[in-house]
Amino acid sequence: MSLLWQKISGVWQSKLGFKVSASYLLLLLAIVLLLPWLPLPFAPNHLDLDYTSVKPFSERAWASGHILGTDTLGRDLASNLLYGARTAFFIAFPVISLATLLGTALGVVAGFYHHQGAKLLRYQALFYLLAGIAFLYYSVYVPAKSIKLGLGTSPAGYALLTFFSLVIVLWIVCRFLLAKVTCFRRVWVLPADAVIMRFVESLSTVPRFVLILVLAAFLPPSVPLLSLLLIFTMWPASARLARAEMLRIKQLSYFEAALSIGSPTIRLLWHHAFPNLIGPVLIAYIFGLGGLLTLESTLSFLNIGVPGTLVSWGRTISSIRTNTAAWWLVVLPGSLLSITVLALYTCGHYLSKILTAKA
Amino acid sequence: MLLYLFRRILLVIPAFWALATLVFLLSRLLPGSFAEERVLQSDAGFYNKSDAASREAAYTAYLKKSGQTLPLFYISISPDNIPDTLSQIFPEARRQQLQQLAFKHGSWEDVAAYDEALERFINPLTPSIKSKVSSQLQVIRFSHEKTEIAGALTTIQKKIAELGAPQNYYNELTLAFNTLSKNSEPYSFLLPELRWNGLENQYHQWLSAIIKGDAGSSYRTSRPVSEMLWEAIANTFWLLFGSMLLTMALGLLLSIQMSRGKMAWLRRLSLPALFVLDSIPMFVLALLLLVLLANPNFLQLFPVYGMGYYQAPDLSYLQRTAQWLQFMALPITCLVLVNLPYITNQIYSALQAALHANYAQTARAKGLKEVAVIRRHALPNALLPIITLTSDFLPALVDGSIIIETVFAIPGTGRLLVESVLARDYPVLVAIVVLVLAVRMLAYALAEGGYAWADPRIKQELS
Repeated sequence: MSLLWQKISGVWQSKLGFKVSASYLLLLLAIVLLLPWLPLPFAPNHLDLDYTSVKPFSERAWASGHILGTDTLGRDLASNLLYGARTAFFIAFPVISLATLLGTALGVVAGFYHHQGAKLLRYQALFYLLAGIAFLYYSVYVPAKSIKLGLGTSPAGYALLTFFSLVIVLWIVCRFLLAKVTCFRRVWVLPADAVIMRFVESLSTVPRFVLILVLAAFLPPSVPLLSLLLIFTMWPASARLARAEMLRIKQLSYFEAALSIGSPTIRLLWHHAFPNLIGPVLIAYIFGLGGLLTLESTLSFLNIGVPGTLVSWGRTISSIRTNTAAWWLVVLPGSLLSITVLALYTCGHYLSKILTAKA
Repeated sequence: MLLYLFRRILLVIPAFWALATLVFLLSRLLPGSFAEERVLQSDAGFYNKSDAASREAAYTAYLKKSGQTLPLFYISISPDNIPDTLSQIFPEARRQQLQQLAFKHGSWEDVAAYDEALERFINPLTPSIKSKVSSQLQVIRFSHEKTEIAGALTTIQKKIAELGAPQNYYNELTLAFNTLSKNSEPYSFLLPELRWNGLENQYHQWLSAIIKGDAGSSYRTSRPVSEMLWEAIANTFWLLFGSMLLTMALGLLLSIQMSRGKMAWLRRLSLPALFVLDSIPMFVLALLLLVLLANPNFLQLFPVYGMGYYQAPDLSYLQRTAQWLQFMALPITCLVLVNLPYITNQIYSALQAALHANYAQTARAKGLKEVAVIRRHALPNALLPIITLTSDFLPALVDGSIIIETVFAIPGTGRLLVESVLARDYPVLVAIVVLVLAVRMLAYALAEGGYAWADPRIKQELS
């Protein structure tokens, strides 16, 4: 970790491109976080009907206070740009973090159990299977159904209670089976790698954007649901990366040494694999963040999956359709988006340069 | 070779089936279908010249015709044992009450009997009586709390006795309600109960129709989905094909030129330029081109939208192509520009790897010219990664064509997809997913063929 930090500060000092783009990103991030406390003259959804389609830096713009101009409904472009950045980052950061976390965890498991499979005792396997089914019924199906029917949360509460008591009963029964029936003591091998990779492959047979569009058709437009959908479609990429890295790490001699002295799995993964893994994952994270900013703007441009009241760069750009002479509605948000993505890609590029130079 | 290809295609089929099933089941499970929104909406519209009752009848007929009254899947889990006649009950809130009662009290037969008795009780009531007990009627028709219903029933009994209305239907109603509450198993939803629905279910019908090649008809236009897709597909195909060829050609040309020693200036110029180009999102680039080059306010070089409304019938083939090119020029340019950075980068690095190999060094050592080394020795060896790239490139192109077609209003599959998503036109969505997967399989097959052609060793291995 400290080594990584050293390297990053090394690039910061030696490469101007990294310095410029990283400071731009930090500045933008600070603005985005402090935005509600900044004194902006107009709210992003405020309609100033006296000043519609104001050209930026024109006389009318100075007179009205909309320095960067307005769109056809008189919404101030400057505050839309800043709040759009806030929306983009507020969607992109959690989504990419969770997707990377999920994908990396699954990828590491797949890579680690690539050769031998995850070994479970039969009674454990039976327990997990039954508990999984019970989880799906009592914690997903019944609560969803009762909420959909408008019955409130009390059936859901009963169902959850049943689930927990069922798990305890199941555990006792399985322990009992372990003690009494010998065949439950045998080892059952779960082909974790094959299962996870099949799933990843099925998800990536359809182009990601098509998948997002099709699934978004079933959801009411809302930001949390869209974020879940994005996580669902983003994790396979990082799972693939983490699996490939894990396979590479497993071949390294220090890892084999640690394996041979019998370190527990958790220690192997956390102490030996993780520090080696973090570099590539970090790079993928940065590139993924850039991709997500683009994706979010594209979706809000198409008005799919996000509510129409959400302030975003995509929505601002899409208002060009009502007035094709208003070039500033494309040029300003478009260049802000491109510059942000460019800065992210530049950072990722330099980071990947130093991190692969070592290997 | 063929066997290998076949296996590869077989591997895609489960994924394809799973995704199509997911989309289908989601489309049927979630409320608010297109027809429901259109047929049942109460504000003014094309379908709404009639009163509520006939609208409901039309909706029921529609559900029956499209097979949506059948159970959804082969098996269902109780408490979801709602029979198929439920969707014929109106209004919506009433249907919800029955569902709630069935969910909470377990026995659908008793709930149905209660519903029947309720209808028989309410229908003969005169309007004056109805208005006197309207709040209690609300409760017994829409509540799911047993105590509330029981309280409302006793109040109704008192009022009816005061007014001297006939009691016989009322007795039947209380009887039905008492049976319902007596047989009630309040926590029956905690005990799942699997039920087999047989082959007469929506999923089975849909799947067999799809296998026979019948994708149903669109909710939005009521036309067969295959017809709509067929119309849209040609434009998309030419857009994709043209931009793919152009991108590959440009990428190859650029990377060959960049690999030459003399062309260091080109390398220094184009690599950063491509890097910057890569970070411009596609829809921004498309709109920029549109605003700058197809806009009467700036430069009107290209036609603005779509593929033109009018086409003269007696144009020669050449003229028609020229007209088509006019409309396609900007979209194709845009797709090429967006995909060029990635493609060029990949080809360039494959070429560099080949140029650093021993055989390239030998070729150089025997005095071959640089261009000849690249063309004759490095390029054939770099072909393999390029072929992989081409087949992997297709999804990115499909993604791109969706945005491009929407921005430039080209009537293709991408635009059809966006429109169907916005209108929640599920049959079209499912069909487009199927189409995309089929194209993907074709790409796999072509790539495999390409491998065998580029590398004789693979051909031997596969056969």
